[in-house]
Amino acid sequence: MKVAILQMEGTNCEEESFIAFRDSGFEPEYVHINLLKPGDLEKYNVLFIPGGFSAGDYVRAGAIFAARLKAKIWKDLKNFVDEGKIVMGVCNGFQVLIELGLLPAVDGISDEPQAALMVNDSNKFECRWTYLRRENDTIFTSKVPEVITLPVAHAEGKFVAPNKILEKIEEQKQVVFRYVKPDGSKADYPWNPNGSMNDIAAITNPQGNVLGIMPHPERAFFWYQHPDWTRKKREKGDGSLIFKSLIKYS
Amino acid sequence: MKYEKISDKVYRVKMRDASDDELKKISDEMGLALNLEEMKRIKEYFSNLGRDPTDVEIHAIAQAWSEHCSYKSSKPILRKYIFGIESPHTIVVMQDDAGVVEFDENHAYVFKIESHNHPSAVEPYGGAATGVGGIIRDVLNMGAKPIALVDPLFFAPPDYPYKKLRQGIKHPRYLLKGVVSGIRDYGNRVGIPTVAGITYFDEGYVNNILVNAGCLGIVKKDKIVRSRVTKPDVLLVMVGGRTGRDGIHGVNFASKVLSEKSEEEREAVQLGNPILKEPLIHLILEANEMGIIHGMKDLGGGGLGSVVGEMCYSGGVGAEVHLDKVLLKERDMAPWEIWVSESQERMLLAIEEENLEKLKNLCDKWDVEISVIGKSIMEKNLRIYWQGRKILDLPLNFLTGGVEYNRPYKIQKIEKMQEIPPEPKYREIFLNLLSSINIASKEWIIRQYDHEVQGKTVIKPLQGEIGFETHGDAAVIKPLHDSWRGIAITTVANPQIARIDPYVGSLYTMDEAVRNLVAVGAKPHALSDCLNFGNPEKEEIMGEFVESSRGLGEAGRFLEIPFVSGNVSFYNEAFRMNIPPTVVLMAVGIIEDMRKAITTDLKKEGNPVYLVGETREEMGGSDYYRMIGVRSTYVPRVDLSETKRRSEELLKAMKSGLILSCHDVSHGGLAVTLAEMAIGGNIGAEIDLRSMGVMRDDFKLFSESPTRWVCEVQRGKEGEFEKIVNATKIGYVGGNSLRVRDGERWLFNVHLNILRSRWKNGLKDYLG
Amino acid sequence: MLKAKIIVRYKEGVDDPEGKTIKHALNLLGFEDVEDVKVAKYYEIKLSKGDENEVEEIIRKLLVNPVIHDYEVRVERI
Repeated sequence: MKVAILQMEGTNCEEESFIAFRDSGFEPEYVHINLLKPGDLEKYNVLFIPGGFSAGDYVRAGAIFAARLKAKIWKDLKNFVDEGKIVMGVCNGFQVLIELGLLPAVDGISDEPQAALMVNDSNKFECRWTYLRRENDTIFTSKVPEVITLPVAHAEGKFVAPNKILEKIEEQKQVVFRYVKPDGSKADYPWNPNGSMNDIAAITNPQGNVLGIMPHPERAFFWYQHPDWTRKKREKGDGSLIFKSLIKYS
Repeated sequence: MKYEKISDKVYRVKMRDASDDELKKISDEMGLALNLEEMKRIKEYFSNLGRDPTDVEIHAIAQAWSEHCSYKSSKPILRKYIFGIESPHTIVVMQDDAGVVEFDENHAYVFKIESHNHPSAVEPYGGAATGVGGIIRDVLNMGAKPIALVDPLFFAPPDYPYKKLRQGIKHPRYLLKGVVSGIRDYGNRVGIPTVAGITYFDEGYVNNILVNAGCLGIVKKDKIVRSRVTKPDVLLVMVGGRTGRDGIHGVNFASKVLSEKSEEEREAVQLGNPILKEPLIHLILEANEMGIIHGMKDLGGGGLGSVVGEMCYSGGVGAEVHLDKVLLKERDMAPWEIWVSESQERMLLAIEEENLEKLKNLCDKWDVEISVIGKSIMEKNLRIYWQGRKILDLPLNFLTGGVEYNRPYKIQKIEKMQEIPPEPKYREIFLNLLSSINIASKEWIIRQYDHEVQGKTVIKPLQGEIGFETHGDAAVIKPLHDSWRGIAITTVANPQIARIDPYVGSLYTMDEAVRNLVAVGAKPHALSDCLNFGNPEKEEIMGEFVESSRGLGEAGRFLEIPFVSGNVSFYNEAFRMNIPPTVVLMAVGIIEDMRKAITTDLKKEGNPVYLVGETREEMGGSDYYRMIGVRSTYVPRVDLSETKRRSEELLKAMKSGLILSCHDVSHGGLAVTLAEMAIGGNIGAEIDLRSMGVMRDDFKLFSESPTRWVCEVQRGKEGEFEKIVNATKIGYVGGNSLRVRDGERWLFNVHLNILRSRWKNGLKDYLG
Repeated sequence: MLKAKIIVRYKEGVDDPEGKTIKHALNLLGFEDVEDVKVAKYYEIKLSKGDENEVEEIIRKLLVNPVIHDYEVRVERI
């Protein structure tokens, strides 16, 4: 399974992502957008857009990254998705996928964004750990238990969409993770760290091969990356289960 | 006419026949911030040469001789006390832009802390952001990958009355928000976790806030790059951002007293660009991995002027530079402006000609601009050319060798006195302390910084049950994928003790650095110091500096912890008010196996709680006395042999796995330490102070005597623990409240929810 | 030459946390009569050739997310 980890000025989670893929049995490679040409994607099975502040998050988080991808390899990208290959965006990567229209894509890939990840209700960058409840069965979560913990670190992560779109997302079972309280019940702030509608933390497209997720699974890959490891024993990090699910699928 | 045009934008300054008044006028007109003595020295030098200097030459000298670049007031003192402490692990000590210390057989860590005070006081957002940017470059230019940031900050209290503010001074709340946003936006964007810091409030900072920033990096030992050029004909290459008018005279600004006018001196604040920096880091690290960098230095305070000079001077060569080759933001800049500009995100690389092509290719990949501006020469002179004409020719030992002053100083006598207040209402005073701004939770700030990026932060700044975290003593970074070895990082400062006695203040700060590192299970290893003081031309301020340095040096030598890098910030004075002496330490410890690291949160019902160290009736500088407005000059006594012995005992017990949680006792004393441990563990404790002996209970609870920790010990291992550590058992973990008594007398019983809400909201209420 | 002046703001009904925060700050500063603050982004774009259509395309392709944004545009010939 070859993974292309996309880089652009301002992406900054590529190294921990690289380690997470490599240690899960994938073959990851860095691909810088400056060097990306049409046709380059063909040899990969997974396209990964890491977190960070691509182009400084100027205009809107992820907007410039998305616009440049569209200009450079839009056709290839659409084919990649249509062929059922895997696309995964974390944090800023999720923002890029929304801006591209690859998510939520309730009626297929859209020309214009159908949703937005906007400024957190707290109007602050939030670096904290969240509890997430697995919602629907996907190729990304087959090995994930019902509730896991992953960290968020973003200023623009509030998932919003028009009611009709939101209804379709729910109807088509596109929600992968919802923020919850530690006991699994409905979250309020800070358990829902940004004010996302329906407490949405991660979604896929209807086909289930494109994942966007605000929390960072690659930062919870090893047990010692969890903040409470001096209180609670774990064999591995909760985030690693997402990568394990994916490698099993392939 | 004192200025004669000799070529495009270059002037000759006729100073050989200038009177003293005219010399002063020249210094003012050109914005040099040089005093008369220094101007006379320049005049004499050029008189001996038999020619007048160009404006470029004078600006170059003014910059090299500024306090910020030359350390002219502090160097003799630093040399006497702080320099020259080494350990078997030190590699580069007090030489280049950052200290280098052995991490393991193949790796070294690189770190430094420095100030960015004046720019942040004028423009908090931009000033703080560039402070972070600058310190990152200091670490990067040793060839190291930056992996952690720290940021100690000092403001006036957030409820400071608007009406009391002087003209041109901004409110501390505005300054705090601006500074935090600046650090957040820069640090988060550039992808380096901010893992430790201080936010300290005192009215003494109302006119002059302090913003210190530190960075730590990791490098393979065989890839360490020095900031020097050691042979002729090596190319001098600029990479990164372009040169502009931003930041002209920043160092002179840093060496000047702030005034009402400062706000208009905006050009002295530089604007950083993290999105330029991020590719620059990749580029530098890749080039270093290829082994093509001969020497490297960042263009921080002082710009090209000080960097070219220092790199060549320390390597024993000279340089020639063609200023036309420097890439500019604004086309019409004069040569002197190009030479002194402190524009951000620029690095100077020394590259052998055969490697230039490789470097250019890397620059293409990362979309970073590059320009060859000159080369090193055999003769130890600096020569600058502009449109083919030589406009500066000075020997480096005159320019960079610099000036030094033995400034007179006066050490204040301390009259010993301690008032004794009536016994307080314990519950009320305890909760007031817990919610006071210097003790209350700093979560509002900490969570705005990404402390997780890079995935290496294995002990976080906030510790405990998820969603209920408390303050930690130090963060731990696990820098290498295939090793359990960890680096613990903490920052400390104690201005309220230093203000009474700067010497003891330094000892106490050193003790606290050790306390914090030991609390997570790390052995103290190396230090970087940022010394923030008022105007050194005042004898009592210079006296504070001397006493502070003496304390640091004495403790460093005794504890065998070397100072490997540092920074002095003088002239923190405005409206004739000087800041309290503020010694800030960034302290680094090594933990052989991070799996043995310890956090501050209480773990489990039934475990015994111990107090390590001696509690004394020394209330000078304590938060308790400050809050209730009672005076004392009895500052906590520090016995360095105790510091050493007790840390060794604790580390031994931690290695044996006997200790489950540990927190040092500092601000607010034992009571606050216990409260913070309970908050993070989301579990209470029952404490009996009787075993501490006979003393007033408010002293037992709130004294800030040094060299103390509270430890939670594994139940059933008491005997084993007591054999290793000299400690007093004071209670047990359990319940949902903190219950404190002295024998039969109950002092307070506070539910966890109340503890948490008072502690969490104390500062947040002001910040929203 | 063409100069486009574009204001991008939140649609009516979309929460504006930045505006809310600024309102709160202004109230705290003693401007108690401040009832609402809205924040918008302003862009000035110069085009050497191009026309209104190109401006619209620029807005659609990068500056606006129609889920949350409204915009206003004024084009001047210079």
